[in-house]
Amino acid sequence: MTRNDAHPITVEVVRNAIVAYADEMANALSKAAYNMMIYEVRDYCCGLIDTKARMISQNRGGLPIFLADLGVAVADGIARYGLKGFAPGDVIIMNQGEVCGQHLNNVVLYSPCFHRDELVGFAANRAHWVDIGGVRQGFGSYGSNDIYAEGIQMRSLKIYEAGKRNETLWQIIRDNTRYPDSALGDMRAQIASCKLGARRYAELIARYGRETVETCIAKVWDQAEASARAVIEKIPDGDYEAESFLDNDGRTLDKPLRVKVKVNVRGSQMTVDFSEMNPQVPGPLNSGRGGGIAGARVAFKALTSPDLDVNEGCFRPLEVILPEGTMLSAKPPSALGLWSVALPTVIDTILKALAPAVPHFIPAAHKGDMGGCSFFGFRDDGSRFLLMNIFGGGWGGRPDEDGEDASVSVCQGDVRNTPVELQEIKYPVLIETHALRPNSGGDGKHRGGLGVELTYQLLQKCKANINLDRTLDPPWGLHGGESGAVNECIIARADGSEVAIKKATEIDIAAGDKVTFLTAGGGGYGNPRERAPEASAQDVTAGVVTKQAKP
Amino acid sequence: MNIVGVDIGGTFTDLVGCVDGHIVTSKCSTVPADPTRGVAESLALAHCEMPALSELLHGSTIAINTVLERKGARTALITTRGFRDTYAIGRGNRIEAFNLFFHRPKPLIPRELTFEVTERMNAKGAVLKPLDESEVQALAKVVAAQNIEAVAVCFLHSYANPAHERRVGDILRAANPKLFVTLSHEIAREYREYERTSTTALNAFIGPRVQTYLGRLEHHLRDERFTGKVNIMRSNGGVMSVRLAQEQPVSMMESGPVAGIIGAGRLAALMGIECAIGFDMGGTTAKASLITKGVPAIEDGYVIGGEASGQPMQIPVVDIVEIGAGGGSIAWCDPTGGIHVGPKSAGADPGPAAYGKGSTDPVVTDANLVLGRINAGRFLNGAMKLDVKAAERAIEMKVAGPTHLGVKEAALGIVQIADAAMSLAVRAVSVKKGVDPRETAMIAFGGAGPLHAVAIAREIFIPKVIVPKVPGTFSALGMLMASWRQDFVRTLYGLLGSLDGKQVDAVFAELAEAGQAQVARDGIAPGTADFSYLADLRYVGQEHTIAIPVRDPKLLSGDFAPLREAFDAEHDQRYGQAAPDERLEVVNVRLVVTAARTDTLAERWLSEKWTPEPPVADEWREVVFTDPAKPIHTRIVWRPSQASGKRIEGPAVIEEPNATTLIHPGDVATVSDAGHLIIDVML
Repeated sequence: MTRNDAHPITVEVVRNAIVAYADEMANALSKAAYNMMIYEVRDYCCGLIDTKARMISQNRGGLPIFLADLGVAVADGIARYGLKGFAPGDVIIMNQGEVCGQHLNNVVLYSPCFHRDELVGFAANRAHWVDIGGVRQGFGSYGSNDIYAEGIQMRSLKIYEAGKRNETLWQIIRDNTRYPDSALGDMRAQIASCKLGARRYAELIARYGRETVETCIAKVWDQAEASARAVIEKIPDGDYEAESFLDNDGRTLDKPLRVKVKVNVRGSQMTVDFSEMNPQVPGPLNSGRGGGIAGARVAFKALTSPDLDVNEGCFRPLEVILPEGTMLSAKPPSALGLWSVALPTVIDTILKALAPAVPHFIPAAHKGDMGGCSFFGFRDDGSRFLLMNIFGGGWGGRPDEDGEDASVSVCQGDVRNTPVELQEIKYPVLIETHALRPNSGGDGKHRGGLGVELTYQLLQKCKANINLDRTLDPPWGLHGGESGAVNECIIARADGSEVAIKKATEIDIAAGDKVTFLTAGGGGYGNPRERAPEASAQDVTAGVVTKQAKP
Repeated sequence: MNIVGVDIGGTFTDLVGCVDGHIVTSKCSTVPADPTRGVAESLALAHCEMPALSELLHGSTIAINTVLERKGARTALITTRGFRDTYAIGRGNRIEAFNLFFHRPKPLIPRELTFEVTERMNAKGAVLKPLDESEVQALAKVVAAQNIEAVAVCFLHSYANPAHERRVGDILRAANPKLFVTLSHEIAREYREYERTSTTALNAFIGPRVQTYLGRLEHHLRDERFTGKVNIMRSNGGVMSVRLAQEQPVSMMESGPVAGIIGAGRLAALMGIECAIGFDMGGTTAKASLITKGVPAIEDGYVIGGEASGQPMQIPVVDIVEIGAGGGSIAWCDPTGGIHVGPKSAGADPGPAAYGKGSTDPVVTDANLVLGRINAGRFLNGAMKLDVKAAERAIEMKVAGPTHLGVKEAALGIVQIADAAMSLAVRAVSVKKGVDPRETAMIAFGGAGPLHAVAIAREIFIPKVIVPKVPGTFSALGMLMASWRQDFVRTLYGLLGSLDGKQVDAVFAELAEAGQAQVARDGIAPGTADFSYLADLRYVGQEHTIAIPVRDPKLLSGDFAPLREAFDAEHDQRYGQAAPDERLEVVNVRLVVTAARTDTLAERWLSEKWTPEPPVADEWREVVFTDPAKPIHTRIVWRPSQASGKRIEGPAVIEEPNATTLIHPGDVATVSDAGHLIIDVML
């Protein structure tokens, strides 16, 4: 059977196949994974990379901030080994901070993909390991000063060479993590996933020929680009800007961090300019360049083509101006432990800048943080436990409807909270309340969604990391809507005292202490006076608004 | 013994029966307002004498439609104090990751009808706070005052100790005997409070309507002097009594699609096919399911109404991958020139452009017609004449024009895109499970299945396609072969090697008791039911589990080497790796109780010697296969007249009353002794 190059039908077959392979990789990874950051939080991405380190395709349903950014990790390996330096059976591991720009827990693995003897691409994935060593454990730690304190770095090392495992490297990894079973188990799942992706892509090439497949992929990218451009053209040309603030870097508590963005639209091209972004900070709330680019890309993708698959073509109409040394482009050896904390705010601020130009495209601000907690310690039998949970908050009111309640941030897509019953089965906790937080949504023509109230009673002494942000600059309303309620955390001690906490690393928790998280609500959209009376009445009936309506 | 299966679908009501040793079939339009009329009509069409029937098997879309249309009962939810919003919060996830205008699942029960009561169990099932019965008494009054028809009750850790739920059920039922009450532990006895709440709420929400429907159906049948049994098809691939269906209507959610796959499983077993892929293509969707040794895979949960904003259910369902590509799927172009097929469907009304009912959207059936692959005069057994010109116009306007392709070229494209999409679904049920398609055979049925099966098989290297007898109404036939089946589960959490034997035995005993009680209630003869136990196992630290058969409870509490070996092998097969050195833990124990049918009427008919009808002369038609510019002069064969052993070499089109099978050049179909078409695919 002969097939024309880039025949529309072949293009469609290839378009579906390359994403299906990435999804298959994701399935093999998540179903066999050992830590909730992978199987519940889905803090991973899988995809195919070409020999120029470009992203051919990416799985659906992974973490949104992993946007076509596996390429930089593979590019480093290509630079090191050369295209002739890979053999079948190789598996490369990579998490180095300077190149990847993310915290070291995010470990990339990839396998070269061969058709006959020719290298035709790579299958790669990145997944969040529960621990990679370093001075502190659990997410939300402010305890590091530089990247060396945050764990081991592995820069483009072959963990398998032509099918043979590098036992030295394996041992180094095993000896440098607090949870070796989990880390090595996850790595095993990652490797199996890479091998699967490489095999599938080789089958596709064998079927249609490399040239045809690559022509089809180029066409798919072109189509993604054209879709994005068509949307940008609907945004009036102009220079837009907005700013907002994060609370602090966890070190200098009275110094808010300015998130300033400029967005320039010209025709079908968009530029996101981070030149005036807060400089890098001593605390670990920095990312490398990858963080800034991810923030700009999420906002861009949500605006231009939320329903199309992610690939290299989607972002061609986007230019990101990001000088070195900002909070989103920190120079080594900056600490990157909380690399993603700023991103929900960065994304919302980009959207805020464009809100006056395209009010019908953009909701009011959402809760604005990553939302989560970790408790860790030792059980009676001496074994370690680490409870991690992610929880949602309110999303902003939208042009035609209220915001959604209790949803994870814009940086987290198919990320799930951990069932109460599961937490109580596995960890020494009793959860007293898991409820919507009434009155937390900003009032407006379309009300902001509600945050969550979650109360843990700890049954055993342990430690916790608490990591609230955006308590000074609440989730904003748009077009006359009001702000949502801000994040709070209250520890009611077993001895009767009570303390409100915003940020804490390894705070001591005694048996019987109760820790309550109140997550932020979304901002309102439009003037509250324009809210439909029946909508207000329903809010009261359902008990989600209990205060008296303002005069 | 005379039995009939009636499958009410969205568009058609299909009937297949074994009456006086013969197979009867009929197909008529579904009457949405009164589905029992469709049953009556299909029985009349097939000339079935009601008093002569000994059993009626039934599948229906009533349960799923009640959910999708949100037309269930006025329902209340009762939760543990502090957890009123478990149902509304859900898992907090956003499946459409970049969509700022996403919608999360909307509870079927509003917050104002959700009530908390004071009670609390811990994860081990110990009572931390006793149930405050006075609160429940007060709630019973509220329920009556608010005209609530159904109540769902879901307490934390009720899977471990259901005492409080049971007590609430007793109090509510005593106060209002007509109330439809669903207790979560009766529906899904395993941890994960949101999914369990959602499943319980679904059951309560659809309960009164399904109960009424089944009551009416039974009443109607009795009025017609039907004295036999009525069994209802359920999502787990088995059947249940009407009474059980009225208590657990949630378990008949997928009753239609599942029946065909069960039928394919039986056929695979009869033909000795180790590993088969059931492929069913109808008007709006195509479904694929993996069948190993005659048994389809079962999943533990799924989502009704779309992954992103649908309602999760935590009950077993035959693992069917469904994709939005059917005969009625609409082909369209995006502004950048990409051609897409589905997921929108033209349904039966207005249907394909070729129906001439005014639709200008081309669908897959239109494309097949333009390519000469289906017969304009024989569609739906000649009941629906098709208009080729109308199909061509629609394809020209919506697809060929915008992409600068010829009409036939565009039509071929539409079919190939649909084939590619469906082949991905078939891939998902095979390679995703670690099964190599080259070692499988495809069993193709449904109105459109045999038309596309060979192309899909070739696309993913399946060497053999089987088109059974009566492919167009095969789902109804499947019902005649389904076993009675009920699934049970209990959470049992712990490390293999350190489980307490007494605790394990207690769990098994409890499951066995529950199974025996259900068997007795449904009138299954004692001793005829099969009890199979499985354990959900995983490596310590993993979340997802794999169910492994457990013949003896001692395998969990004593020497577990055989389980270990089976688990490692299964893990390697599914995920490409295993860790034989790592510790294993158990999470749940499952019990599957089945009782096979006592008759084998349908099986016998499937394998009995084929008697062809008198010969009908072949016709000839121009059919496009791979080159739109060069249609092939193709033999058109009337299937009912073909004798066993007949070889039909492609290119050929094999037509029969409710289906068309396309044989491509190079492929060869053979009529088996029993009359099935066996197609060898040239790879």
